[in-house]
Amino acid sequence: MSAVAQGEPRLAHERSERWVPALAAVCGLLLLAIAVEIVIDAAAGPSPVVPKSPELVGWLSGLGERLGYRGFLIALLISCGAYGTLATLARRFGASAISTRWAIFLLAALQLIVFVGPVLLSTDVFSYVAYARMGVEHGLNPYTHGPDAIVHDPIYRYVGHDWDRVATAYGPLYTLLSYPLAPLGVVGALWAMKLEALLASAGTLALTWRCARARGFDPVAAVLVVGANPLYFLYALGGAHNDLIMMLAMMAAVSLVVVAPSAGSSTRSARREAGAAALIVAGALTKATVAVLLPFMIVSKRRLAPILGTVAALALGAIVGYVAFGIHGINIVAALNRDAAFVSTDSFANEIAHLLGKPGVFPIDHDLLKAALVLILLHLLWRTWRGYDWVAASGWALLAISVTSTWLLAWYILWPLPLAVVTRDRRLLAATLAIQALFIIHQTSPLLAPVQ
Amino acid sequence: MSGASLSSEERLPVEERRWERLPRWLRPRISEQRGSRRLWRLETTVLVVVGLFLAVAVVNDLARQTRINHRLVADLTTWRHYTDHDYKNISIDQETLGAGSNREVLCGNTSGGAPGSKTQVCLAIWGPTVNGRRTVHGGWYLPPYYEDVRSERYGCFGSVRELCPR
Repeated sequence: MSAVAQGEPRLAHERSERWVPALAAVCGLLLLAIAVEIVIDAAAGPSPVVPKSPELVGWLSGLGERLGYRGFLIALLISCGAYGTLATLARRFGASAISTRWAIFLLAALQLIVFVGPVLLSTDVFSYVAYARMGVEHGLNPYTHGPDAIVHDPIYRYVGHDWDRVATAYGPLYTLLSYPLAPLGVVGALWAMKLEALLASAGTLALTWRCARARGFDPVAAVLVVGANPLYFLYALGGAHNDLIMMLAMMAAVSLVVVAPSAGSSTRSARREAGAAALIVAGALTKATVAVLLPFMIVSKRRLAPILGTVAALALGAIVGYVAFGIHGINIVAALNRDAAFVSTDSFANEIAHLLGKPGVFPIDHDLLKAALVLILLHLLWRTWRGYDWVAASGWALLAISVTSTWLLAWYILWPLPLAVVTRDRRLLAATLAIQALFIIHQTSPLLAPVQ
Repeated sequence: MSGASLSSEERLPVEERRWERLPRWLRPRISEQRGSRRLWRLETTVLVVVGLFLAVAVVNDLARQTRINHRLVADLTTWRHYTDHDYKNISIDQETLGAGSNREVLCGNTSGGAPGSKTQVCLAIWGPTVNGRRTVHGGWYLPPYYEDVRSERYGCFGSVRELCPR
């Protein structure tokens, strides 16, 4: 075949792909425009999407109209469409679809836009501040009292009604991290929590980039799939959820193991594995769920180092937790059992109960779901023992936890996402995004039949 | 699940020799065997089936919620038409007349003011939606700032008198 004949198909191929960067740019701009619109409208005041909050963004108020649930849902669906297209283009065409500089600008802008806006979609951050103020300002143990113990504190009126009698379910490390923020006052502490979430989000994305590159994936596509995900920047970052801190610890641990230099000595890699295990424990002392990574790493590595790292970090965490909060501060099992009994309308368990003609989830269903989860985890552990990638197995485990949980919130189905973009098993990413799509579809009933 | 471990995560096989005492099928592996394709297919099939089941559950629940919303819209229209008050803050209770019975109790103020701050009138509503409204079968009154509990109801009317104290 002549050089001319070879060159023609390539030229035609390049021509046919000229639309790719333009479409990627349009999707990115659409995501930015929707983020701006949501933040400006949310600043107009409380609504079903924007919780009642202290004055955080007064300079933005008056620019937009109150953000209703229907308006938010339409914006969310459009941003999901833009995200889906952008993610597909980035994964399919790589650098020819979106340049590294543009991707970083887009992600930074999305995160900053949401950061400067009001608290979105959840009152959890007010609970975080309430627990911190209980400990620092009122001398109360947040593991034995709910926020209703400080009814006269200015933060109390913003705590979600469902949680005002509930002691903290978060780990002692997170509670101690939040203590220095309490003296900043309610508004100062809320901004500090938002900043903490922003930094954790940026760190998670940076580590996702690092892991993707180390494993031979396109890092731009990987961070776009995570950072431009509407559930990530609107729900997780918008609500300043501590899940982002947990995900930061998770990705730091994965990064320590997968970025280990291949020529490194055995002692060095053992140290990194011990450090990774300690980081996972630190993440679990923020939010317990991430502990599920430990057995997969230990089974995969089959060395003493991660076990020693786990034990050492657990011992240290237990001592610090006990000294700071007493036995309740380290009784994570009790907190998990309590939370496992909650049922949210968006949980798949609740939807399956309705499909089967039941009014809701019964105690026996909790047991069946736990049994199903145990079976899934055992299968994944066996597969990891027989050579399956422990990072992917951990991602499946996190996805299984969220799907079998009777208490499911939007930011829970983000947990496996950073792991899914750094594994070769493409089914994990497909399954995670499919579960997210189902979750969002379930939110849309007000669009079909609005109640006024 | 066909992911293969990467070289940066692999170790020398000599470190794995302690596992050689185990039967072959029990021994750990550094990476997956090529022959695990059948298991991969089986897992994928299970995943697709579970995914379809979840999708059916979601769509069913969405349709259920939409039906409920349509019914609640009819209930609100009925309350506003019956009382001749175009109030926004009307509480809807789906439990008092039986959860899942499609019978609702709607309570709202009898005159303008903050929600629950005036004498409230509660209407028991059920039946098919006709011209965007349902049938009021009875009701009762509540004093200002009181929750809808049996002991506080008075002035019961219609076919729900048994729900009031004697």
